[in-house]
Amino acid sequence: MAQKTQENPRTQATIRFIQAVRQRVGTIVVGQDTVVERLLIALFTGGHVLLQGVPGIAKTLLASTLSRAIDLKFARVQFTIDLLPGDILGSEILDPRTNTFAVHKGPIFTNLLLADEINRAAPKVQGALLEAMQERKVTIGKETFKLPAPFLVIATQNPIEQAGTFELPEAQLDRFMLCHRLGYPKPAEEKEVLRRNIHLGVRREDKGAIARTEFDMIDDKPVGSTEDLVSAMEAVHDVHVSETFLDHVVQLVEKTRHHKSLALGASPRAGISLIKASRARALIHGRDYVVPDDLFALAEDVVLHRIRLTYEALADGLTGLQVLQSLLADVGAPERR
Amino acid sequence: MNRTSPWPALALCLLASAQQPAPSSPPPTTPQETVGMPGRIENLILPGTELAAAPAPPHTRIVLRITAARPHGSLFRYDIEFTGFEPGAHDLRPYLRRKDGSPTTDLPAIPIQVSPVLPANVIEPRDLQPTSLPRVGGYTTWVILAILAWIAGLLAILFVGRRKAVTTAGATAEITLADRLRPLVEDAMADRLQPERRAELERLLLSWWRDRLGLQQRTAAEAVATLRNHPEAGELLRQLDAWLHEPPGRMRTVDVNALLRPYQAPVPTTARGGAA
Repeated sequence: MAQKTQENPRTQATIRFIQAVRQRVGTIVVGQDTVVERLLIALFTGGHVLLQGVPGIAKTLLASTLSRAIDLKFARVQFTIDLLPGDILGSEILDPRTNTFAVHKGPIFTNLLLADEINRAAPKVQGALLEAMQERKVTIGKETFKLPAPFLVIATQNPIEQAGTFELPEAQLDRFMLCHRLGYPKPAEEKEVLRRNIHLGVRREDKGAIARTEFDMIDDKPVGSTEDLVSAMEAVHDVHVSETFLDHVVQLVEKTRHHKSLALGASPRAGISLIKASRARALIHGRDYVVPDDLFALAEDVVLHRIRLTYEALADGLTGLQVLQSLLADVGAPERR
Repeated sequence: MNRTSPWPALALCLLASAQQPAPSSPPPTTPQETVGMPGRIENLILPGTELAAAPAPPHTRIVLRITAARPHGSLFRYDIEFTGFEPGAHDLRPYLRRKDGSPTTDLPAIPIQVSPVLPANVIEPRDLQPTSLPRVGGYTTWVILAILAWIAGLLAILFVGRRKAVTTAGATAEITLADRLRPLVEDAMADRLQPERRAELERLLLSWWRDRLGLQQRTAAEAVATLRNHPEAGELLRQLDAWLHEPPGRMRTVDVNALLRPYQAPVPTTARGGAA
């Protein structure tokens, strides 16, 4: 690990805040340290996260735990084929008593929105959400409303069932700062999940009882406030980015645009996201400067969903991850064409 | 004097002749057929009891078959099929017999004519005349040729292009990692290294250590994490961080010459065919 610095008091406070949040999430969600880190990166930099993974790996639990740990408003929307933009953004409803239209704000007016299975909704709905994510404001009727700050969208996609889904186009994917691919927990982690589940017990409700879930175990008392979060966001901007690191990022992005196996390279937004995310990761790891480790750790989540392979590369059985890793392993090498 | 009319007697004669069929009715013309080809005689009325084909001896010149025999008054009317094996005029009578075994001497002649196919005095088919061979090819040949061409094209696509790629890769692989690293290290030690090339120097040092420790199959993030824990590589990375990435004004001095001296003539690495 690179040498840590604790010279800046704000950085020091932020590091304590981050540790407290990770500890709180760790009491509910087993493993998934990397995902927690990615979510914090997105929170600190104002980005949005797309999680790709099979169902049942605690995506909702994670988002819910994180929101309560930082005292954020949380909402979850299950995307389906018949969802309408108004179901997310809100709409005007006629009030029969006053004969006027009243604005009914949708679930997007929250701090942390979990858009579950975003690719199941029609492109019209996806477009409405992604536009709001980008502009951070919503127009209902003739009135425009700002979205609350902080505002983080955690969208999920199931990579297995593709029937009846609408794949997000590259332009829409580009709006997600990070796209993290979730895997199954390791056997030791899975055993811990089961062990915790065994001891959940039941909860009395009315005259009966219901089995408790992990959601019942979430502590409502936050370990940090929105103020802490704002302080962390400011601390991220204090993280130093060297010219050498900028060169690393520029050359990586540049190489994706000229690689023979890539039909679509990384956008300028990818470079910006790499810098932002690297700064946040440096802070999370207790540094006030970025190092190549941050680039290597985040390249897959920042770059991979922004590139597209050529048909020839697909026919050769290449994957985007292989191409990206070859670029990272061979950066600086002469082009072999 | 009684004079009688001759017309009733004439009518009776005609009637009598109508009721009594003619004893035989030879075919109007002699049936004719070529050797080996079956010929037919139909509605042939012959006197006497019913006839049948006589058993044919070996090497018979005529084979005869009665395909139909119908009563015709007190006579019989026959449909006969015959096949002649020797050219010339023949009589079918010897090839018939009575079913009741009575003689056939009362039968009229039943002539047929069997014509030869070959010219006169030729008793065997001629030798085949030499002719030109048919055109080489045909559908099957063309299909086989098309399949062979397709396979040849496929092999060319699969292997000819690959060979060129290997040749190109081989040409570029001649420039080793150490060859690329050495000038950058020398420039850096002489304080001539341009700032934009420092990133390249850092990546090459990472790649060099990655190769040296055999971490090529690991992801870049995993490889760097491993390098951080390596005593030599970890120290190098920490020094590089201090030199290249830490904020300016940080009170950590890095002796670049001492740091890069081991890489002026880097030892061979395991993976990329060795360096320097």
